[in-house]
Amino acid sequence: MPKKILITDDALFMRVTLKNLLVNNGYDVVGEAINGKEAVERYSTHHPDVVFMDITMPIMDGIAATRAIKARDPNANVIMCTAMGQKNLVMEAIQAGAKDFIVKPFSPERVLESIIKVIGK
Amino acid sequence: MKAEYVNPFLLASHSVLEMVLGARPVQGALAAQPNTFTTQPCCVVCGVTGQVQGQVIYGMSLATADNIVGAMLGQPIDSFDALASSALGELGNMISGNALQFLAEAGWICDITPPTVMRGPDVKITTISIPAIVVTMTMDHGELFITIGVQGRK
Repeated sequence: MPKKILITDDALFMRVTLKNLLVNNGYDVVGEAINGKEAVERYSTHHPDVVFMDITMPIMDGIAATRAIKARDPNANVIMCTAMGQKNLVMEAIQAGAKDFIVKPFSPERVLESIIKVIGK
Repeated sequence: MKAEYVNPFLLASHSVLEMVLGARPVQGALAAQPNTFTTQPCCVVCGVTGQVQGQVIYGMSLATADNIVGAMLGQPIDSFDALASSALGELGNMISGNALQFLAEAGWICDITPPTVMRGPDVKITTISIPAIVVTMTMDHGELFITIGVQGRK
């Protein structure tokens, strides 16, 4: 059974790039969200094994969405994926419950390693 | 303009362009940008807020935009559609976002606004009170003109 992934990013290009990478490597992309609010809603619907979460997004940012998802499911696996890698932001994301932090631009290997690190093969 | 504001964007440009496009851009000389200037036909505008604030504008010809987006998508593009716009905006977002990391290491805590992609001839931009510099990055994909107009507010 392929692992289920939810992608959250307001940039269409990033959603398409991540989806192609994940599908080509045997993962099931069960949903896409364009802001944090959609991510929280789609998490409840799809119960994905992993959520990829951008930080800077309209309506609800990725840190707030991570907190909301972790409040509903403390075992949720959220991987932040953002262009901004300042230490304070990494700390804030980890404190919100994110299990890994990927800085864009990313290599395909970095993304796949992160999934294995968080949920195993 | 202080080098400590400019260098992070130059460093980030080199690293992001190399990683995303496989390009080794040749950097031209820094030049003062007039307060009012005519943009390139295609631009990505990123705002910087926080302890450093202003705008960074990544300008290029339409052909260069097509080449860059084609490289990002892994195939030549037929038309500059929503996906192409998103890709180009994301390139500006990644350069600016990575620059913030260098600024943070120097003690400047900032944020960026979502990128805006503009296309059209002879658009005039006036940076009201922040002086700007422009630098050209030359790659196989074409020339990227980076206008950096930011200043510290500590």
